[in-house]
Amino acid sequence: MTYRPADLAELREAMVQSAAVGQLLAVSGAGTASQWGGRPEHDAVLDTTAMSELISYNPTDMTVAVQAGMRLSRLQEVLAEHRQWVALDPARGATIGGIVATADAGPSRHQYGGSRDSVIGMTLVLADGTVARSGGHVIKNVAGYDLGKLLHGSLGTLAVVAEVVLRVHPRPAATATLAVPCDAAAAFDLGGQLITTALEPAAVEWCDGTLLARFDGTARGVADRLARARELAGPAATEGTPEQWRGVDRIVLGEQGDTVLRLGTAPDRTPSLAADLHRLAATYAVEAAMTSTLFAGVHTVRLRGGPAAAHAAVVTALRQTYPASTVCRWTPDLEHEITPWGDPPPAVSLLRAVKRRFDPDDRLCPGRFAPWL
Amino acid sequence: MTSHAIDTGWLAELLATLGPDNVITDPARLRTYECDGLTGYRVVPAAVALPRSTAEVAAAVRVCAGHGIPFVARGAGTGLSGGALPVADGIVISLQRLRRIIEVDPVNLCAVVEPGVTNLDISRAAAPYGLYYAPNPSSQQVCTIGGNVAENSGGAHCLKYGFTVNHVLEAEVVLADGTVTTLGGPAQYQPGFDLLGAFIGSEGTLGIVTRITVRLLAKPAHVETMVADFATVAGAGDAVTAIVAAGIVPAAIEMLDNLAIQAVGASTHSVYTADTAAALVVELDGPPDDVAEQFDHVQRICRAQGSTKIMVAADPAERALIWQGRKAAFAAVGRISSNYFVQDGVVPRGRLAEVLDRIGAMADTAGLRVANVFHAGDGNLHPLVLYCEADGEHDRAERLSSEIAELCVELGGSLSGEHGIGTDKACSMPRMFGEDDLATMLRLRAAFDPDGLCNPGKVFPTPRLCGERPGPYRPHPLEAAGVIERL
Repeated sequence: MTYRPADLAELREAMVQSAAVGQLLAVSGAGTASQWGGRPEHDAVLDTTAMSELISYNPTDMTVAVQAGMRLSRLQEVLAEHRQWVALDPARGATIGGIVATADAGPSRHQYGGSRDSVIGMTLVLADGTVARSGGHVIKNVAGYDLGKLLHGSLGTLAVVAEVVLRVHPRPAATATLAVPCDAAAAFDLGGQLITTALEPAAVEWCDGTLLARFDGTARGVADRLARARELAGPAATEGTPEQWRGVDRIVLGEQGDTVLRLGTAPDRTPSLAADLHRLAATYAVEAAMTSTLFAGVHTVRLRGGPAAAHAAVVTALRQTYPASTVCRWTPDLEHEITPWGDPPPAVSLLRAVKRRFDPDDRLCPGRFAPWL
Repeated sequence: MTSHAIDTGWLAELLATLGPDNVITDPARLRTYECDGLTGYRVVPAAVALPRSTAEVAAAVRVCAGHGIPFVARGAGTGLSGGALPVADGIVISLQRLRRIIEVDPVNLCAVVEPGVTNLDISRAAAPYGLYYAPNPSSQQVCTIGGNVAENSGGAHCLKYGFTVNHVLEAEVVLADGTVTTLGGPAQYQPGFDLLGAFIGSEGTLGIVTRITVRLLAKPAHVETMVADFATVAGAGDAVTAIVAAGIVPAAIEMLDNLAIQAVGASTHSVYTADTAAALVVELDGPPDDVAEQFDHVQRICRAQGSTKIMVAADPAERALIWQGRKAAFAAVGRISSNYFVQDGVVPRGRLAEVLDRIGAMADTAGLRVANVFHAGDGNLHPLVLYCEADGEHDRAERLSSEIAELCVELGGSLSGEHGIGTDKACSMPRMFGEDDLATMLRLRAAFDPDGLCNPGKVFPTPRLCGERPGPYRPHPLEAAGVIERL
């Protein structure tokens, strides 16, 4: 069965009802991350997509409140009417709640961070129906614990995100991209130079053999910085295209039959990760692609072709060196070969303690984070 | 010293663990730690531990955990909300001796530091690489990064650059049972709940941070700073709204009203116009062309909003004078009024003019002066309620101060933008959060610290604490009746 609440009261009611009969719930938004970090066992689905309304938007305050089931793309359309945006550009056509719960972000994480950095307030509903708010509608606020941060990356296992207040930013007057075909090591060096020479790139992504650096600002300022960046980069540099940025999305999303892995490493591990991936792909005869937000140390690897065992071998080998990893898309049968996660983080006992306090009956998305939780 | 301490023997264990040179028990020396920057509350702790390493912090905490002794971590003690107020039958764990800058890593754009390092020293260490640490509270010369993590500190440049939580990648923490763990990691993506994000700003109630990896940014290529005078406070507030509405995100927008300007003028080499009703300090930084174009735009906006005079800093020395006046404003107000309360509420930016107007009217009604000096760009007010204790104005001033804080919540804002809730505003939390909100936050606290030993009495209202009203020290009713005593 599926609960599909339209507002906070109905969501709370769904939680209370399901608690009364002890149902295990899978929390779902647009369904774009249904495979992330493992598929939860469930008796019922809690679908938030009917909670898709704009709650309040005051452009001069640069804050917006939405129901969690609103799609980010829809919100960006609303904000664009006032030349504003939420500084998030994940590849998925996900809901706001889903993006927070998956800790997803896109290349703009270089300048703006992830969804944790845009969320300034949240209303959440616990498995027992408790409704809790934290944060508020102002960007500067240190009153109480930031439960919005806690929910970031929790994949629906602690509570259901009901409403979110976000900080918005002005859309830049102009934007331009530098594109430089190069390997990961050269991309990391050049990206570092762009940053330390104060050219202020808004995004520095190495995507499948090309460095993409985006500059946002005034028309004159962007033109000047792009010209200086091209000087630094040398003759191979060109002005990048929107199509090149869509290449990032294609790797992150993958297609039916692909395996997609998200990894976090110290930024300077990027060249070795790229080299290891290339070597492993050759060894196991799979096609590999990778995109990295270089100075955030966030990488997405896509594996294509070959049997599940080959994908599993590549993922397992990568994890020996780069343990902070999550499987986000599974090639068929891969679930029988590997777990969704690498080694647990040092604070895994705290993760368990928090889970026990928030969802003592383990009703929310059980199986996700297994065997950590 | 409490009889509890002697009876249990925990102090002997602490002395044996850390060595007598690293534990303070002398009553006179303990008084150094009786309060933080909020001097109205004073509690002498039973002992102060001065560990020199993570292992020693953990050892001290384990002694506490073993005996049920509450502990309070303390950095430089610059907090303004009583967050580091000791517990009479507990210990203070001072992090002043953990002050090593372990590494500046210009390749990964980060630095690894111990909690007792001052905020400014991180930027100093990063400067040779053209890098700096962005969050900069006014107290950055003395406040420590450990305290910044506890309070999620901000400062003037938060509008553009964010807060401590946006600039910390990883933290080693000692939990309430004395175990050491790591939250976060070297990358923005870490599998699992964002425990680091929840820990930052928890005001020392979830554990003690012993090592911090902070992000470093490249120093901006160009900076422009100006002071724009306005004939009315509301006019300055409207200018702030107009600047932001134009899609410009300055590095800082600060406001001083006339009383604050007078105070600054009386005590420093002031660049502010003595008789203007309000002044806006606007700073833009970034690539030169972008800054130049937007700086012109900001000046046009200020003139259109009725600015009577604009002074642009001609060089770094003039810029420093502007900031010197702004950052010295709290101290300066202390020179024109024998006593004052400082508030730290936040309002949605669009309501700045309204809230300033209402504060003015409330001050008139109370027959008191309120000086305003604050971070206008993000709506973080610092109304200073001036009063004279000797003239019996205390209660009136305290009432006005509380009313201003409540007004901020009423207008959709927050009780605190950067000073924290601490001891000072714990009793006001129910004004902003409901019972279920607070109970859910306490579930998180219980997961970290089930026995409640870690900085108890802060952030959340407790019955005993709320028997005492916020503000300067006065005896608790039970204390006055001789039932309890404060050591």
